[in-house]
Amino acid sequence: MSHDSRARPRLRISLTPYLFISPWVLGFLLFTLGPLVFSLTMSFYDWPVVGERSFVGFGNYRSMLTEDPMFWESLGITTRFALIYVPFNIVLSFLLALMLHHARFGAGFFRTAFYLPSVISGVALVMIWNWIYSQEYGLLNYMLSFAGVEPVNWLGDKQIAVVAIIIASLWGLGGTMLILLTGLKGIPRELYEAATVSGVPGWAQTVYITIPMLGPMLVFTFITSIISAFQQLTIALLLTKGGPQKATYFFAMYIYDNAFKFYDMGYAAAGSWIMFLFVLALSLLVMRWSAAWSYYEGELKSGGRDA
Amino acid sequence: MKTVHALIAGSLVASVLGLAQPAVAEEVLRFATWDSDESLAIEQAIARKFEEAHPGVKVQVEAYGGDGYDQKLAAGFGAGNPPDVMYMWNFPQYKTSLMPLDDLITRDAAALDLKDFPEGLMNASRIDGKTYGMPAGFTTHVVFYNRDMFAKAGVEEPKAGWTWDDLRAKAGKFRNEAEKTYGFAVDAKPDPYDFEQFLWSNGTRYISDDGKTIDGFMNSREAAEVLDMFGDMAKRQEAVTVNVGENTSASALFKSGKIAMLEGAMWNKSGLDESGVKYGVAPLPAFAGKPVQSAISISAMSIAKDTKQADLAWEFVKFYASPEAVAMRTNDLPVRTSVADRKGMTTDPVYKPFFDVLAVSSKERPAFLKNPKWAQIQENLAVAIEAAITEQGNAQAHLDEAVQRSQRFLK
Amino acid sequence: MRKLLLHSALTLLALLFILPFYWTFLSAVKSTADLYQFPPVFWPSEWHFENFAASWNKLPFNTFLWNSTVVVVLSTIGQVLSSSLVAFGFARFRFPGRDALFILLLATMMIPWDVKMIPLYMEFNYIGWINTLKPLIVPSYFADAFFVFMLRQFIMTVPLEIDEAARMDGASSFDIYWRIHLPLMLPGLILVGTFHFMNAWNDYLGPLIFLNDQSKYTLTLGLALFKNPHDVDITAVAAITTLLCLPPLALFFVAQRYIMDGAVGSAVKG
Repeated sequence: MSHDSRARPRLRISLTPYLFISPWVLGFLLFTLGPLVFSLTMSFYDWPVVGERSFVGFGNYRSMLTEDPMFWESLGITTRFALIYVPFNIVLSFLLALMLHHARFGAGFFRTAFYLPSVISGVALVMIWNWIYSQEYGLLNYMLSFAGVEPVNWLGDKQIAVVAIIIASLWGLGGTMLILLTGLKGIPRELYEAATVSGVPGWAQTVYITIPMLGPMLVFTFITSIISAFQQLTIALLLTKGGPQKATYFFAMYIYDNAFKFYDMGYAAAGSWIMFLFVLALSLLVMRWSAAWSYYEGELKSGGRDA
Repeated sequence: MKTVHALIAGSLVASVLGLAQPAVAEEVLRFATWDSDESLAIEQAIARKFEEAHPGVKVQVEAYGGDGYDQKLAAGFGAGNPPDVMYMWNFPQYKTSLMPLDDLITRDAAALDLKDFPEGLMNASRIDGKTYGMPAGFTTHVVFYNRDMFAKAGVEEPKAGWTWDDLRAKAGKFRNEAEKTYGFAVDAKPDPYDFEQFLWSNGTRYISDDGKTIDGFMNSREAAEVLDMFGDMAKRQEAVTVNVGENTSASALFKSGKIAMLEGAMWNKSGLDESGVKYGVAPLPAFAGKPVQSAISISAMSIAKDTKQADLAWEFVKFYASPEAVAMRTNDLPVRTSVADRKGMTTDPVYKPFFDVLAVSSKERPAFLKNPKWAQIQENLAVAIEAAITEQGNAQAHLDEAVQRSQRFLK
Repeated sequence: MRKLLLHSALTLLALLFILPFYWTFLSAVKSTADLYQFPPVFWPSEWHFENFAASWNKLPFNTFLWNSTVVVVLSTIGQVLSSSLVAFGFARFRFPGRDALFILLLATMMIPWDVKMIPLYMEFNYIGWINTLKPLIVPSYFADAFFVFMLRQFIMTVPLEIDEAARMDGASSFDIYWRIHLPLMLPGLILVGTFHFMNAWNDYLGPLIFLNDQSKYTLTLGLALFKNPHDVDITAVAAITTLLCLPPLALFFVAQRYIMDGAVGSAVKG
């Protein structure tokens, strides 16, 4: 804001942006900061739901990292899940968005169809997937039987269950697809027209125009996919309850169990903080790395301008 | 900028005005239940009866359906705002926030007539000599069987005194690959609380009575036998394995005629009645030469220690245990012998097996009452049960591993 | 030829996405005995359309519908307004602490709900909001990180020159937000509205924790009452789910035109 040509009172200049973000700042102070501090405090206590609480220092963290095999196992399962889910979620959403972008007729119908799964939730979602994956009575095995494939035990096999959960999670990619599609629609046509005139082939247009122009949206979906991968709870909780034999016991479920099965609130809070810091570090890494390749039309890199 | 804030303030005011609360004129008693559907309707009917008898009192029946009950209760207790009266099973966890009822029970002994309650029902809500809950309803376990399927297959219906070998012999006759029918269903992820009945019936238990030892109990030869038997039933296709790959519940399969026998309890009954399946009820089978025992699931009523309406809450709990209210509970079994007798349930062929097994099922205490860390130990046990049933054998090794992984909770 | 291929592929995929929904509908109208038929039947012999009304009337679903509507409408308005304001603040200004605050904002997306639940409950209990719809509405007026982040990315694709031109004409910051960026962001705003609508409509944990009395329940809490640890009323769940999907679907079908047609690029040029 230093080199603005129009002279304005400094105070007002510095206050305006804060006024704009004030709803969030207020909300943070009212609804987030308190719970955050509270949970951090909890994580240093042996904190049952009711009854005596006692200070244990780093005891919860220590026992989690050194004595509790479930911590490492669930973290491993979640990381493996994220490694597959995140790229698939983005790539498939992107491809689907591209296809929809080029669709000539029925676009509204297709968009609604792909978004449909995101509208269904909870109890019903479980019923649907149970029916699809059922080994004996399921739709998937029924369809595969036409291809001569033997019935697969989708939710009962330790290796396959994770795949089943990934597929079920990907089914809800409508939201991500929509965000990318909206981004695609925002890319000025002129860019492609100019490229076509200059003889740039279609695939190159995608790589050199679409992807960089979509940069901010891709970064957004990348980071939010990572977060949702690590917070993955509902589908696994309802579909496999972490099984078979803990093969889909995600980290979020580990925290959930510690809180609501074992009523060890302090321990659960410690687990949450570990996950929180882990995901935050990962996201910041992505942000930093993405700054190198994504194109921000309105980015305020050079000294900045005020409003 | 003023406009912005005026805008936000305006929306806020609007939203708050739109939600203005009605003034509360009457005394409100909060009562939380895990029941849903028909059972919930029964709870509400009982609450209404209580309101009629106590003018000016409103019972707010709070039903947290689905899997939300434990989470909701944790939030309520954790934040110091629990319901006044609630269904309770997890006494070890919540006892410090629950009101001990012994003095009240002694005071009102004449009206309560505790001798009318079957032995064993009060045990589950008693810890360290204090009583924290009054039973309101309960169920034992039985085997439901589909009479039409039995008749069609020409298989003799089960009768009292049968054994697991009998059940297996019958079950084998119902397997039909084309129609995907089976004789029985084995649950790979049973509620360990219910599952302990099979260990009891085979002469062992999860954990020693002093709550300190699991080695030699949870992984005893008898425990492994139980698991191996269920695994073997799955292997020989006498039973379909549910809850692993086959998330369709056993009761749903029974209702649609895919399995001929269902190990179940009162919570299955209303669904079965609704489905129109013609069923009979048999007692749990025995392990040859050993006495059968059933798990008893009790809906007990507890009062929050810090309730501001202790007297009213106790009145309500007492009302729930009264013959009048007990008789209204048709979705589980009456906790009063007099009510059961009056309704003729102890001789009715549908209900008799429930009561017969109750009479012999008060010997064991469930594991969770014996050790405060049982929930964690149970996680490892559940994995062992699942592994043994899905791998259709090798139970001993899985149980040994569960014991070894659980040792750190016993220190 | 390529177009034909594209549309065939889309149709196939769309069927894949619709099929489970169709099955939910089927489960609602099938008789109990037909539920587990194998091989699966896609055109049942009997249609029990009366199941919809019967399931709806099993519980006070009219009340639940009213509560859900109040929550969804009021909170969506708040979410759209507050998130766009905050997003504009983060996207178009440079101010001391901006980056730190933005990272803080991102961080709030990563806080697991389990941790926040009990402290939040205590807070709302302290101000007497438990068993009211307020905890489900008021926080929406304080911007959600996910939406702020999303809209910020939107705003960043708009050339700065547009702002500058407006400022030359004497527009204030708020004018630029209100007159230029809000219309430009319209697809994004509708997206935020749609997403938030869906989240609020389907939210289960929030209502579960903050509401006690059945007269305050939302639709999802009502739906959950068909399930207990031992049994699920499949017909009722399927029937109510089907009905519950319709309003958001209809809304989405209308909204998606605006999301797509009013997209940023064309608006900038136009």
